[in-house]
Amino acid sequence: MSDTSTIAAVPAQSSSRLSYWLGLVPGLLLLAAVGYGGKFIEQFIARYGKSHHLVLPNIEYVLWAILIGLIIANTVGVPTLFRRGVATYDFWLKTGIVLLGARFILGDIARLGGISLALVFIEIALALAFMTWLGKRFKLAPKLVSLLSVGASVCGVSAIIATQGAIEADEEDSSYAIAAILALGAISLFVFPVIGHTLHLSDHAYGVWTGLAVDNTAETAAAGALYSDTAGKIAVLTKTCRNALIGFVVLGYAIYWASKGQAAGIQNRAAFLWQKFPKFVLGFLLISLLATIGFFTKPQLLAVGNLSRWAFLLTFAGVGLRTSVRELSKQGIRPLLVGTIGEIVIALITLGLVYGADKTFHL
Amino acid sequence: MSASPRPTLSAIFSSDTWAVLLSIGLALLVRFGVLKVVPW
Repeated sequence: MSDTSTIAAVPAQSSSRLSYWLGLVPGLLLLAAVGYGGKFIEQFIARYGKSHHLVLPNIEYVLWAILIGLIIANTVGVPTLFRRGVATYDFWLKTGIVLLGARFILGDIARLGGISLALVFIEIALALAFMTWLGKRFKLAPKLVSLLSVGASVCGVSAIIATQGAIEADEEDSSYAIAAILALGAISLFVFPVIGHTLHLSDHAYGVWTGLAVDNTAETAAAGALYSDTAGKIAVLTKTCRNALIGFVVLGYAIYWASKGQAAGIQNRAAFLWQKFPKFVLGFLLISLLATIGFFTKPQLLAVGNLSRWAFLLTFAGVGLRTSVRELSKQGIRPLLVGTIGEIVIALITLGLVYGADKTFHL
Repeated sequence: MSASPRPTLSAIFSSDTWAVLLSIGLALLVRFGVLKVVPW
């Protein structure tokens, strides 16, 4: 090739790069519109309930954003112009997870107390083991089993999305697991306070139980606050401890699936694991460490946490927009059944644990 | 023979790494007061 054509290739390359970035804009705007639409509906319902003195269930923006996305994707469809930008939802997911580190200071764990902390570890181990066993019994796809197990054991939607990125599971699997966790979380808002009052649980015991058994943080906070203000605070703190372990559980699953994929002709296992290893988990741990050592002030932690929420807002919109109901229906009723049975059993086991611990150690 | 094109930044870094870099960049902007308030 002559020098002239080499020089001509440079502007051509930059122009194609520019058109690549510009091609992302429509889809990004659609993600933002769908996500913000979900947030708007959540806030509108809350305002409406308050002004009309109605007790309306707090259905968080996550579910609305996914629903709006699902409706668009499965009715009019996502036009080609938007698809490249919509596909960036995975990038926003990873960004959201890294920034999420700011919301989980490892020192929070110390404030909860030794017994409650032990219960957190027991719940995670039991839930992981039971959901894995149940999923296998129902012959679900292995990665869907992993997603349901992580969702039930650690922290609902964030954990499912984090694990989906780490183990390269299908969007349909993660949509199904998220739908199951959110549906069951909404039911717990009504059932948990009734059980707590029936058993005369103390605020602390009820808060710990809610923090252990309700999987999505917003529903945990709501189910706790429905009981009492103290129960709400304890529920959020217990849930924060579960959330703090998200990186470790995702890391475990990432290593498990990466090592499963090395069956054929991998010479350097360490390099393979590193290549497959989700680097955003390290970013999460780094931000969490910075938050723990006091690198950020409290208002700054809040600001970084909010940036994480905005990134997740784009992610949740993308989850809906990328989900095909036709593909979901191929999965059948079994994943929802596994989710329901699993959640009920975990809720009962954790209730027994908390009840026993409260009677013995006075939580 | 044509000169081999320079690898783009998106080819050098994975989306994971980009996400970490963007997040750390944003966190530093908050830390050093460039981004003061992030509403939710």
